[in-house]
Amino acid sequence: MHALLEEFLDKWVWPTAPGAPGAEFRWRLTKERCLKGWEISLRRTVGEIETELARGDEASKKVRALRGYAAEGVHMSIKQMSAQLLSVDLPDQARYIDLQRMRARQIWDECKHSKLHADVLIGKGWVKHERELMDQVQANTQPLPAYFGLSMMFPHIHPLARAAQNYYQEAIACLGIMAHLSLADDPLVRHEHLSQRDEELMHFMEGKFQIDMYCVTPETQKPVEEALDYLMHQVGGIG
Amino acid sequence: MPTLKVNHERCTECRMCYIVCRELDINAVYVALEPLHRIEIDATACTYPGCTACLMYCPAEGSIIEAESGRSMVPPPLETWRRRGAHVPV
Repeated sequence: MHALLEEFLDKWVWPTAPGAPGAEFRWRLTKERCLKGWEISLRRTVGEIETELARGDEASKKVRALRGYAAEGVHMSIKQMSAQLLSVDLPDQARYIDLQRMRARQIWDECKHSKLHADVLIGKGWVKHERELMDQVQANTQPLPAYFGLSMMFPHIHPLARAAQNYYQEAIACLGIMAHLSLADDPLVRHEHLSQRDEELMHFMEGKFQIDMYCVTPETQKPVEEALDYLMHQVGGIG
Repeated sequence: MPTLKVNHERCTECRMCYIVCRELDINAVYVALEPLHRIEIDATACTYPGCTACLMYCPAEGSIIEAESGRSMVPPPLETWRRRGAHVPV
């Protein structure tokens, strides 16, 4: 196991509130499925960073910042997470009101993350103003299907499906940040990641909390397992 | 008994501790009116070390501390979750 993953697990994944009713389910998901995906993603990211550093490649920083801008901000997170707020059925809203509050907070966080990527692009002189990014395709598109996006308005995906994305995907974000902070020395790149660190970890904690506290029956565990299937197989390409 | 308090040098005001504490109906975490509407822990309502749940979901290293010793409780030290019967997963 990669040392950064081991550190992440010991600090943030294994510690569990004694008696948390969904903890056994979360640990099973983690051991049987998430660990494999986290390890692969981390090693892939570390490899990319090492290759970029060996090349002294400034262009890759631009690509990463543009990709981050598209992935975290206006064009994905706001639309996705707004849709998630709106897609909780009325009878479920009392039960999941805190989940909705966390989602609202995350919209704000992701907008800040998007702005941090814009700061790199401005700081490096690649754009003069964020408004220029509106005309750049790379800053406005990402290749992944919008399982959690506007399309979820129609089937009304279970509110807890998003817990899988928070738990699994945000852990990958946290590990990517740890990898950058352990390898990169460019002050702007470090700032881009360090400024997101606690917030991405908070998003991971949302998923951990929701699974630990809410996923205690087959009915509430099923949407998490299904979403994890999707994230690992369809998005991550992990069998 | 030791008590917990928020270290405002590290806390990001994400309110995970607030949500966790309310979910368990302990309600020791609150938003203080003064001076800056920040998260605080009411030591008279908090049941630490009986309950350690908020520590497990706090994402900001060092942001909850033991008031008496100043010891950081985030990430949670082993004894705050293993000693009370939680299974060790690996």
